Amino acid sequence: MREDAVIKLEDVSTVYEGERRPAIKGVNLTLKRNELVYVVGPNASGKTTLLETINGLLPTFKGKVSVFGLDMQSHGRKVRCKIGYVPQDFMVKPGEPYTALDVVLMGLYGQIGFLHQPEEKDRKKALEAMKLLGVEELVNRPMGKLSGGQQQKVMLARAIAKKPKVLLLDEPFSNLDPESRAKIPSLISRLHEEKELTTLIVTHDIHHMIDQCHRVVAISNGKIVFDGKPENAIPFIENHPHTTSLEAIR
Amino acid sequence: MIWLEFTIMQRALLACLLAGFLMGLIGVFVVRMRLSAIGYSMSHGAFAGAALGVATATNPLATGLLFASATAFLIGPIADKARLHADTITSIVFPLNMALAFVFLTLAPEVGLSSQVANVLWGSIISMTNSDLVYLTTLFAATIAIIYFVWKELFAIMFNRKLAEADGINTKPFIYLIIFLAGVVVTFSLKLVGGLLIYALLFNPASTALQFLENMRAIVIASPLIGMTTTVSGLIVSLFFDLPVGSCIVIVSTIVFAIALLLSPKRRRK
Repeated sequence: MREDAVIKLEDVSTVYEGERRPAIKGVNLTLKRNELVYVVGPNASGKTTLLETINGLLPTFKGKVSVFGLDMQSHGRKVRCKIGYVPQDFMVKPGEPYTALDVVLMGLYGQIGFLHQPEEKDRKKALEAMKLLGVEELVNRPMGKLSGGQQQKVMLARAIAKKPKVLLLDEPFSNLDPESRAKIPSLISRLHEEKELTTLIVTHDIHHMIDQCHRVVAISNGKIVFDGKPENAIPFIENHPHTTSLEAIR
Repeated sequence: MIWLEFTIMQRALLACLLAGFLMGLIGVFVVRMRLSAIGYSMSHGAFAGAALGVATATNPLATGLLFASATAFLIGPIADKARLHADTITSIVFPLNMALAFVFLTLAPEVGLSSQVANVLWGSIISMTNSDLVYLTTLFAATIAIIYFVWKELFAIMFNRKLAEADGINTKPFIYLIIFLAGVVVTFSLKLVGGLLIYALLFNPASTALQFLENMRAIVIASPLIGMTTTVSGLIVSLFFDLPVGSCIVIVSTIVFAIALLLSPKRRRK
């Protein structure tokens, strides 16, 4: 693992429009190159807000977020072209007019750039990613007709097709069947190592990739309450004053 | 004389085809980007502007375009920043535009339903001039070119705006572009069905196509075709029964949508 900081949050607070209380407050967090970090915490603790703040999708109320040394408030769009992102519980309704391949290919549009059309090489990238996730047979199926698990794999393929430098995954395994839950985390871990990615995974279930992750960050009430090695995470959670509210992550 | 009538009908037919196509095409983006409320306010903005044109004896097309653009440019950022629900914005802007339109029409030189006032209210496809056709043809070519070049971004935004942003697309300019294009298309199509009914042509063809198709590219082709078919059918019905053209077009397009709703395979599955 190299030491360069890829993601850096300095005293960051984010407030949703129309609300007074920050969803995350005073967050300081640094992710180095090729680091794989788990973010855990109970519902509404600020995990998704943290991910969307890093991605520049939510404006920061206070503090600074930088990725690859670039301020996300001013360079967000450029940086997001290099970030693979899977949002939480993203489901396409039945009848929506998009195929699985459309959805994966769309992930590349930011990279392709304004006034340029997707080419055969982009289609190949999308198909390769779908094959990697085992959803190549779903290429022409309407996205809304796929099961929750299949849609989640398509969304992961969309994130991977970009050949990103950073992966931000929000509950990426929640809808997978038991067989896929065993396979997909290993695949993410392998990609992470091979491509030297910097990966942040929000999860409820700390046990999925506990052996592969380098650090665990626990959030409660919008604040980081633990940031350390995975082997210390579970004992901390058991002994922390917020144990009751953190129960869900065990 | 027969030749003159034939020319008028040719113009009417061509106008129906062009405006039907354009309204059907832009309607897909308005519906899929959930801009219906804004489109609704804006089409009545064009109506108010055209009414101002009649009142001040200036070109209703120019004033209609001005009002539609002003509404589009005001509502877009307001919807983004004011934290108001689109329905709330429509509830305020729609009556305002209608009130302005009726005030302007009352101030028209010949108070009452003069032919020009009637044209703005209900449309008068028979009064289509060659200039109107040139404008519509130019708009037709420009709209197709614009949609072709920014299709990729529009496609991604129609799928999910937040994901499009997450992929590095600046979504705002494309949404404003569609709002603006809708305003221009509505303004140039006002003579077809008039300011009171024009919105139906923006909404009905796209909604009809969405009942049957599960491929966005097919929808973008089908909706303009449905728009053209319903406008021409409405024109034929109006000539056959000697009824107002605009009303017949809207009635036909609504009947087509209702049939599509009944036969929709998407609904039958439920």
